[in-house]
Amino acid sequence: MIKSFLSIFRDSTNSFEGQRDGETILLLLRKHIITLYLKLGLFVLAAIVPIVVGLTFIPYFSLHNLINVFLFISSLWYLGLWLGIFHVLSIYTLNTVLVTDRRVIESDQHGLFNRITSELNSNRIQDVSVHTNGILETIFKFGNITVQTASSEAHFVFHQIPEPDRVKDIIMQITASVHSGVKASAPL
Amino acid sequence: MPPLEIIFNIVVIGISFVYWVIAFIIVYHLNRFGIGVQPKKFAAIFLFGSLVLASISTILFTKVDITMFIK
Repeated sequence: MIKSFLSIFRDSTNSFEGQRDGETILLLLRKHIITLYLKLGLFVLAAIVPIVVGLTFIPYFSLHNLINVFLFISSLWYLGLWLGIFHVLSIYTLNTVLVTDRRVIESDQHGLFNRITSELNSNRIQDVSVHTNGILETIFKFGNITVQTASSEAHFVFHQIPEPDRVKDIIMQITASVHSGVKASAPL
Repeated sequence: MPPLEIIFNIVVIGISFVYWVIAFIIVYHLNRFGIGVQPKKFAAIFLFGSLVLASISTILFTKVDITMFIK
């Protein structure tokens, strides 16, 4: 039983809500990991605060018998930081772009209760372009991918995607295979 | 029990309640909407860390003598 429970951490399939019969996920994209590190860096700085306060005011706390109060408040601080870190991780993890053999689905998670899901059938894709802007994006090879549809409706933009050129090529291959009627195979 | 102690206990219980409600929402979202293995791992690490940190906070809470603020 424990073995089968632990298998969810190894064998969880890349399935998603609303997946159609026989639909295969070819790409599961999230924002580049560097964007996550930049946000988590703030939490690392915040984690130092109780240590600095403790080292600075330890004689005062000892004198007024406030050590336990300080430790308790610090523990609440770290509890709050833990929550904040995993809130950021949740938003990062749930912000996905799924490229299947039939469509492209973007799940844009702004908050825990604020999510926009958009999808686009592969046969409606006309043009895919990549926009890399800035030194970080150039060095770490990530950027925005814009997908233009056949209709006049607004285009889709996937932000801060790693290896955007490779992703663009794969989307174009899938679109070409959909148009030609040949089933696309998994690139990963 | 002095009023300050009662208020302090209620505030701490309130903070704890809010924490676990948000923690549940995060774990639920990661497992319910997360795709693949990574979100499940995050949820497990988060839950384990929350239990450890909440236990430490509870132990430290029992050591706090709030009545000294009245004195």
